[in-house]
Amino acid sequence: MGDNVAGASNDDGYIKEQDRLLPIANVGRIMKQILPQNAKISKEAKETMQECVSEFIGFVTSEASQKCRKERRKTVNGDDICSAIGTLGFDDYAGPLRRYLQRYREVEGDRANQEKGGNSNTEDKEEPASSYGTNQPINQAGRSNFI
Amino acid sequence: MAGEEEIADTIKPEFPTGRIKRIMKLDKDINKVTSEALFLVSCSTELFLQFLAERSAEVAMEKKRKTVKLDFIRTAVKRHRPTSDFLLDSLPAPTESSLPIDRPRSRAVEDKPAPPGTRRIDQFFRKPENEAPIEINDS
Repeated sequence: MGDNVAGASNDDGYIKEQDRLLPIANVGRIMKQILPQNAKISKEAKETMQECVSEFIGFVTSEASQKCRKERRKTVNGDDICSAIGTLGFDDYAGPLRRYLQRYREVEGDRANQEKGGNSNTEDKEEPASSYGTNQPINQAGRSNFI
Repeated sequence: MAGEEEIADTIKPEFPTGRIKRIMKLDKDINKVTSEALFLVSCSTELFLQFLAERSAEVAMEKKRKTVKLDFIRTAVKRHRPTSDFLLDSLPAPTESSLPIDRPRSRAVEDKPAPPGTRRIDQFFRKPENEAPIEINDS
């Protein structure tokens, strides 16, 4: 995974796909969990789903960033995402997302308490724009909180 | 703590965070994002994927097919207004072979008889240059 660093691309098409699509394995796995057991997914359909979810991310992101611009803020936060999701018509997600967020904050709070007197990460961490193309750990303890 | 593992499992997003972040940053207006925002994008993307997969599977079932194909996804997208608003145009155009209408793929020009008094447009392109120009109107 360290090959495509700093946005440099040798084979343009290949590298760009890696940057703009979620891994097809993840996409396929989630689909399989939803579909009936004997169902199959055509390769074209899986690839299309990859594109669809990236479009979704772009759409939500764009909406959230517009809100930030209007309010003259530089950092997109969780509320912006929730608000964007609602604006775009996906209000059904609001409930589950709020629950996810609550649990996330609880877990983060627990982790921060475990790191005694250290750099508490209950504050929202900001991701600088220059980290494009690299996978920097967000938690200063060196562990990613997500995976 | 007893419930800790359970909580960690339930909120563990399926998608690699770095990739989500990279996709978000394709938007040049994006400056910084909080880790919470990143987390919520990941969760909502998963919800969306599940939703679309489920709807596509429904279409497949209606058509009594076991394999979810692109056309079924397209139908599912069309059926949900918020989704079709942002997604329909991005989907690849339907290929001719997927059209249910039985129509000839191509029709040779010669097959169709020309109405009397008219000239076929391809005649203009076929005639060699040294011939006299074709008169359209006999005046």
